[in-house]
Amino acid sequence: MKFNTIIIGGGLSGLTAGLALQKAGQRVAIVSKGQSTLHFNPASFDLLGYDATGAAVEHPLQAIAALPATHPYSKCTNVEALAQEAQALLEESGISLIGTAAANHYRITPMGVLKPAWLTLADYATTEQGTALPWKKVALINAIGCLDFPTKFIAAGLRKAGTEVDVKAFTLPELEKQRQSPSEMRATNIAKVLSTANVVARMAQAINAQIAGTTYDAVLLPGVLQNPDLVAQLKSQVSTPVHFIATLPPSAAGVHVQTLLRQRFIAAGGVHLTGDKVVGGTIESGILKSVTTENLIDTRLEANHFILATGSFMSGGMDSNYESVFETVFGLDVDALQVPSERVKFNVFEAQPYMEFGVSTNEKLQVKKDGQEISNCYAVGSVLSGANRVKQSCGTGISMLTALQVVKHILNK
Amino acid sequence: MADLQINSESVFNFEQCLKCSVCTVYCPVSAVNPAYPGPKQAGPDGERYRLKSPVFFDENLKKCLNCKRCEVSCPQNVKVGDIIQKARMKYSTHKPGLRDRMLASTDFVGTMANRFAPIVNIMLAMKLTKTVMHGTIGVDKHRQFPAYSAQRFETWFKRHAQAEQSQYSKQVSYFHGCYVNYNFPKLGQDLVKIMNAVGYGVQLLDKEKCCGVAKIANGLYDQAKKHGKINIDSIRKAKEAGRVTLTTSSTCCFTIRDEYEHILELPQEDVRESVNLATRFLFQLLDEGKIKLAFRSDYKKHVAYHSACHMERMGWVVYSTELLKLIPGVQLTMLDSQCCGISGTYGFKRENYEVSQTIGAPLFAQIKALAPDCVSTDCETCKWQIEMSTGVPVENPISIIADALDVELTKQLNAN
Repeated sequence: MKFNTIIIGGGLSGLTAGLALQKAGQRVAIVSKGQSTLHFNPASFDLLGYDATGAAVEHPLQAIAALPATHPYSKCTNVEALAQEAQALLEESGISLIGTAAANHYRITPMGVLKPAWLTLADYATTEQGTALPWKKVALINAIGCLDFPTKFIAAGLRKAGTEVDVKAFTLPELEKQRQSPSEMRATNIAKVLSTANVVARMAQAINAQIAGTTYDAVLLPGVLQNPDLVAQLKSQVSTPVHFIATLPPSAAGVHVQTLLRQRFIAAGGVHLTGDKVVGGTIESGILKSVTTENLIDTRLEANHFILATGSFMSGGMDSNYESVFETVFGLDVDALQVPSERVKFNVFEAQPYMEFGVSTNEKLQVKKDGQEISNCYAVGSVLSGANRVKQSCGTGISMLTALQVVKHILNK
Repeated sequence: MADLQINSESVFNFEQCLKCSVCTVYCPVSAVNPAYPGPKQAGPDGERYRLKSPVFFDENLKKCLNCKRCEVSCPQNVKVGDIIQKARMKYSTHKPGLRDRMLASTDFVGTMANRFAPIVNIMLAMKLTKTVMHGTIGVDKHRQFPAYSAQRFETWFKRHAQAEQSQYSKQVSYFHGCYVNYNFPKLGQDLVKIMNAVGYGVQLLDKEKCCGVAKIANGLYDQAKKHGKINIDSIRKAKEAGRVTLTTSSTCCFTIRDEYEHILELPQEDVRESVNLATRFLFQLLDEGKIKLAFRSDYKKHVAYHSACHMERMGWVVYSTELLKLIPGVQLTMLDSQCCGISGTYGFKRENYEVSQTIGAPLFAQIKALAPDCVSTDCETCKWQIEMSTGVPVENPISIIADALDVELTKQLNAN
């Protein structure tokens, strides 16, 4: 089976690269081992949230310019242009966003913390500053039984920012039915229940009943609506402005983004090998010729270019054992500390060395194995070494920007 | 064991679960039937308790469709669906009743029905019969039964096709399955037409029994094993004679290749790779340049492809769709990959009808909005469900290829 480019990994970076290559007319396959961490996305994308000292970044483009040469952003030739391209790609896929690369705004996390963000889904709550919210008084309303929306933490966070909060809850017969299975009262299941105009109309009534008699500046709800039409309907039927706060993962927003990107890739003729895993590759004199997968067994998947977008330790692109830290698909060269005691620091809240481990690449993001460069294989996203994505809030930005950068290298070849 | 130690892995597959819950997102049952505990709870979470005591087994696990979409979505390779099926097999005290035995015995019921096909078809379509079956044994009255054919595929094959098969130098065996044999011989005829055109003769297996998927689903494990062994022996004989065994049903294929070993614990390692889906076999031959296909220029169709659950689990959707893309007159649209809700015999049961239709609703809505000339899928029970629920005809990719094929030109291209 022949393709122009084969992408290993179906998360944000893999889908970004796939969509951009399709635009240029390429025939692309994505091999995706299980669903991706995009499902855990908190309705927001970050470019760079914190600098090396841990201080919140106001102007990410300026702060990115000051990053060390080992950071993946240093291998992006024009961060600002790539950021614009990434934003356009999301919007073309049907994702409405607010935000700009010029200045961060703040999102509200599912734990009630304000964190810097680059782009946030348009219907989700944001604020301009990291210390204050745009509302004096809000109603924070959960769906009764929803396991993924810790209202106490969120209310505490909002109050800390100086906003008065009334915590309330609503339910509907449909949700009561779902509650027969309390362990399945997850945000994504609730989103499947709240999926018709009829149910959303009654949801709006239930919310109006909760806020009747008190004046609120905003109603804050868990992110459990996916369909933009239903969101618009709810907003028009609730008497006070409505904003969502992302739930704990898997989030309805993350599933929404993943679904839209994947659908668009497939609709444009892309081959998506869902639930399949690359198990081997043929490398001849520095060129990756083909790969084989668990499900397709003896069918060789051939391509001119390959992109490794397998993610870090959580997604399985990187792994470790008592003996070594390694890249899992090809055993590529990695930047990592191999002595187990050096990989971690005792205090779990400290910046952990292992978080910066990843595949070693040259300035064009090409990978190498046993010291030899593989010129048609690139790495993108979280499998790259050199960034602490958690401490610096830069994971989604790296995923999208390095993917778009590699697409340029491939198309310029 | 040494590897397990180095990689800090447990011998129990469920220990690989990270509790990320992404399986719940893709479970078709979890959101529509709260009586089902959900894949994470029913699978890896529950297994930990069941190992301590069978008292933790929950009969609600039978509400699992065995669609395996949890396994497809799992990033940690937890065999969620297998864990659930094996727990049912090990701990369930539920005994299948008459209805379940009837639904599971596709081959026996089929043999009986073929003999009286015209009468059986009329009766099964009658409102009175449906009401009686609904009220007595619990087969839902809304269901349309697939029509039984007056002539079995095997009978047709022996009378009209077998004699000429020996003229081909290359040979395959065909596991036709119950559906082709009793309900829809045309699909088998379509395969014979294509294989002959590309220079392959088709043979029946020495002995073929139902693959057993309906028996596994209805708790008739001993029968499923007995039939499984017969099928494995026949496939082995074909292999020894140099023939691979093709199927035109994704579920028969999946059951023989994976469920025999994973659920029924039947050893079949030596023959697993000689069981292949017909579309995959054709694609592989084309990919290796061993055959050529020519298509009619007057064939035009808008085809919407539905990824059947077991096809998705095998990861083989790509073979069928890449073949369909080769037909110049086919405009192919990929439907969102989701369960149609029927899951073999599950949707035929009175207690499951509503859940079954709720699961399939988004798929039906997508098909109706798209209004294609036909839907294509590799699974026969998806075909029944989609035809009944949307009115749009459903064709196996093999039938579409057979219809679009320029037989004479294809024969010439493969003549040497």
